[in-house]
Amino acid sequence: MTEASRAVLDDAQKTAPLDPRDAGTQLRPGLWHTINERYPGSMVTRHTHVPLAPLAKPLNQARLVMISSCGVHRKTDRPLDVCHPFGDFGFRRAPSNTRPADLTIHQLKYPHDDADQDINVVFPIERLQELVAEGTLGGLTPNFFSFIGYNMATERFERTVVHDIAEAVEVEEKADVALLVPA
Amino acid sequence: MGLIQRAVELRGIPTLSITVARDVTERLKVPRAVFVPWPMGHHFGVPFHRELQRRVLMEAFRTLETATESGTIQDLPIKWADVRREANTLSAQGWKL
Repeated sequence: MTEASRAVLDDAQKTAPLDPRDAGTQLRPGLWHTINERYPGSMVTRHTHVPLAPLAKPLNQARLVMISSCGVHRKTDRPLDVCHPFGDFGFRRAPSNTRPADLTIHQLKYPHDDADQDINVVFPIERLQELVAEGTLGGLTPNFFSFIGYNMATERFERTVVHDIAEAVEVEEKADVALLVPA
Repeated sequence: MGLIQRAVELRGIPTLSITVARDVTERLKVPRAVFVPWPMGHHFGVPFHRELQRRVLMEAFRTLETATESGTIQDLPIKWADVRREANTLSAQGWKL
């Protein structure tokens, strides 16, 4: 880090609005400044919260969609590219009635040995199916979504994966509530 | 992931994420999250521990119903050491781990 950029970062730190929720809870102080420097323009500069959308229906009548960056897909689908230096800006659909035996995880960035034994450790598809069967949840959307959480071009990621999944969740799947699992 | 959560919430669909990295989730300012202090790739605990996997989901649903402020992060303070101990018990009962 150059002297000049350090000064800029120090300034930014001093003038950044203090969020009471940040106080004393950061496990790795300073990490975000490093990331901001390395990937300028990334999401960490956002200071605003999005307004809460209200639950339109009680959960026992709501359709839930699950979205995960764990890289899960049907064994019959082509895996996402885990070797590309910028990441794969695509995603896969996994039907919500799939059996775990028909799913596989293709991702290198986190340990999934345990999830290979039981996919519910990162992608609790069977637990959700059970909760629907017993009436805690109204239902599941026809498809769940998965992608690979390693994308080194934030602007492109927002334009592709973020937009396409959000659009599909609202328009095609007509979800009432979304569960996200950032693996 | 947080970007998707924000985008979905902005379309009027309530969202919640299960996170194992509290600091990342705080900085991404997602609408609602449940934090579990466990390693990456173990958001719902350990293999074959149905009750624990279910408990994380139920905590998520409870937070979805009760959160009133954007940026809410609900802690689920179950120690990883305890989770491992229960995993060992499951192993001893013959579950393949």
